[in-house]
Amino acid sequence: MALLDKFDAARRTRDTLAALPLNPTDVVIEEVLSATEAMIQGRRTIMAGTNNYLGLTFDTGAIAAGQAALAASGTGTTGSRMANGTYRDHLLLEREIAAFFDLPYAMVFSTGYSANLGSLAALLAPGDAVLLDSEAHASLFDGCRLSGADIFRFKHNDADSLASRLRRLGERASSALIVAEGLYSIRGDCAPLREFAAVKREFGAILFVDEAHSLGLYGDHGRGLVEQEGVAEDVDFIVGTFSKSLGSIGGFCVSAREELPLFRYASRPYIFTASPCPSVIATTRVALEQLRTRPELRKTVWDNAHRLYAALAELGLELGPDVSPVIGISLREREVAFACWQALFNAGVYTNLILPPAAPDGGSLIRCSVTAAHTRAQIDQIAAAFAQVCRDIGVGRHAAA
Amino acid sequence: MGTELAVEDRLIALLGKTLGPDAVLSPATNLVGDLGLESIQVIEYLCEVEDHFDLAIDEATLADVQTIGDLAAVIRKLGKD
Repeated sequence: MALLDKFDAARRTRDTLAALPLNPTDVVIEEVLSATEAMIQGRRTIMAGTNNYLGLTFDTGAIAAGQAALAASGTGTTGSRMANGTYRDHLLLEREIAAFFDLPYAMVFSTGYSANLGSLAALLAPGDAVLLDSEAHASLFDGCRLSGADIFRFKHNDADSLASRLRRLGERASSALIVAEGLYSIRGDCAPLREFAAVKREFGAILFVDEAHSLGLYGDHGRGLVEQEGVAEDVDFIVGTFSKSLGSIGGFCVSAREELPLFRYASRPYIFTASPCPSVIATTRVALEQLRTRPELRKTVWDNAHRLYAALAELGLELGPDVSPVIGISLREREVAFACWQALFNAGVYTNLILPPAAPDGGSLIRCSVTAAHTRAQIDQIAAAFAQVCRDIGVGRHAAA
Repeated sequence: MGTELAVEDRLIALLGKTLGPDAVLSPATNLVGDLGLESIQVIEYLCEVEDHFDLAIDEATLADVQTIGDLAAVIRKLGKD
């Protein structure tokens, strides 16, 4: 096979999608009107498929801080912190993230993906064993793979499956790394972190949790599911992203382990990447302060989540097991999922179409997410659009027997 | 020889539980190419296989596994180790 022949399959997929009335992988957002609305194909559309959980992308304080940083420090850092220097604001953000988690150490990365890649590639080496949830994000898998460690998958959210694999590892279990997420991004289900923590203690393993989607949503301080489940003492490393609840881009790793600062010398994705630009650091710092000082944002996003989840459950749709700001609607057949997604779009509601292989169970899903910036009227509009689609296409309670 | 057949038969039985009684399976069945299994379904099946045979199979070992027969060979090898 010639080098470029491998793109034949991708070309066929692209051409199939391009023939559809609206290509789900190529939606162009022509104008962003607010944290919850955008112009798409010339039409005002409610955005119900973002990760903007706290609705902070248009926070006036964050925008002002970003503009000031652009004026003061320029558009980019043009290099890696290890080779080209650390800006003072990188350090301030790291201190603030560490303080927010009440942990001594924090490291900031340029993206959430590189936080996972860089942390795992630093922690693990060939010969190490890592236990990875079967539905863990691609960035976690890629980090494990980059490290060269032996990867063992356990059944999604299944502590017994995790324990049985550790048992089979024998003596290796006591130095194995367990990797899981907090809130999962497709179906909106939560990891059983208390059970995982108990398994970790039983085998003396190390526990690593990705709070990318749970930061700002769970716990008394909004630190994430680790805080809510009361397992902070058992979790050795927490990673997360700035691109969801904090509305910017970048990632972090926090820990009480004194080895974390040594990742800077061992993590190639950290060493060989340009550091976050000043405006991103500035907006992230303000958003973190908003997250910390405005618990009402958390209350609003949860009110919206409960309202939409209840409305969709009432329609007889197959939802994930946990109520959360991420609502995954299983539709099994790809054609039905696409028809629903297109009909929702036609009704002025943008959601995410998740097709295999991204869908967790091999089926197809529509993923909806709510934010603190959605009004109650918008949530009701989203629910009304789903109700219409269920009637028109025959899904949920309207499915043919 | 009897043991080899037993491993493959057990793998087919486990896969049949996932796919239902209509699935036509043999040692030559390609898990992805013939069955169209998505990667997550393959992972779930492999978790069942590990539990059934009480083995830990790392991802790298599975890199060359295409068919049920390939998987049986991995299991036999790990079982001997």
